[in-house]
Amino acid sequence: MASRLLWASRAASYLRISVFHRGFSTVLKDLKYADSHEWVKVNGNSATVGITDHAQDHLGEVVYVELPEVGASITQGDSFGAVESVKATSDVISPVSGEVVEVNEELNNSPGLVNSSPYEKGWIIKVDIKDSGELNNLMDSEKYTKFCEEEDGKH
Amino acid sequence: MRVARCLEVWKMGTINYLESIKLQKKLVSDRKTNKISDTLLSLQHPLTYTLGKRRTDHNMLIPMSQLKKIGAELHYTQRGGDITFHGPHQAILYPIISLREIGLGARNYVEKLELTMIELASLYGVKACAGQKGETGVWVGERKIGAIGVQISNGITSHGLAFNIDPDLNYFKHIVPCGIADKGVTSLRKETGLEKCKSQRWEGQGSFKGLQWLC
Repeated sequence: MASRLLWASRAASYLRISVFHRGFSTVLKDLKYADSHEWVKVNGNSATVGITDHAQDHLGEVVYVELPEVGASITQGDSFGAVESVKATSDVISPVSGEVVEVNEELNNSPGLVNSSPYEKGWIIKVDIKDSGELNNLMDSEKYTKFCEEEDGKH
Repeated sequence: MRVARCLEVWKMGTINYLESIKLQKKLVSDRKTNKISDTLLSLQHPLTYTLGKRRTDHNMLIPMSQLKKIGAELHYTQRGGDITFHGPHQAILYPIISLREIGLGARNYVEKLELTMIELASLYGVKACAGQKGETGVWVGERKIGAIGVQISNGITSHGLAFNIDPDLNYFKHIVPCGIADKGVTSLRKETGLEKCKSQRWEGQGSFKGLQWLC
């Protein structure tokens, strides 16, 4: 019993220490954001998708990216691929619906680009989007920044 | 302010691997729609080898025919991590929890799984620690005592951790465990020399440990 109580208090201190608040993750102004921490950059009917700085920080070092096939149909809110980090696979959710026209093959050799350059070299897919109205379901940079703060404040 | 949360613990005894996958899929789906609360499965598997999403089957060192002879199964999974072995007297925890609800990322979650095993080992006087970068898991010196492989789908976890109480470590010779060739495996039995390392007792303690940091 005493060892259990000791463990409980140690665990509580671990919980405080292990949470790593790095201040504010980078959030870019001209992008739209999903609550599952993906970003999308829209140019007419063409969209580029990746995961945010907040997401890559919480994932840890990415060692593998599972990419969809070019030509695949994807739907807003559905999984289109996955990343692996620290022995955990996490699915990546699409912020838009449409057809995948290009995937970032560089990620096959350098999955760490997702960590080092989440908004540029670490982009994941390019999509021809069907319905730009769907973008209204996403957050702008200000809302997303607040969302991240609230989420990090939960623990 | 932290909201009170509920964790339901299932102590399942020995369960076939595919049955556990089927169960986890159902629980993940139910957790996603909030039909159930966070759930923790505590169990053992019969002789089983599993591979992760990257399908690193070059780390399986014996052919299927020999696997059949020794009575072991091989399964491909969607979890992270490399090849591993599960068997009697290895204690397994599969937490089905919503990381999204508590705002936790993969890295912090896995750290907590490591801490669970480290603290449990310390109860038996074994000094274990988390692996260095790229070697997620729990180690006693250069020997691995606990492995982790997780899947996170829509922010809900499945699969989890496997802690060696007293499995037959010879079964690890048929693989390159976790893809790490130059390090060994160990167990609580091997580190403590204790004659009786009852897995049933661990099931109680292990799920209790898992409970501690989730609440």
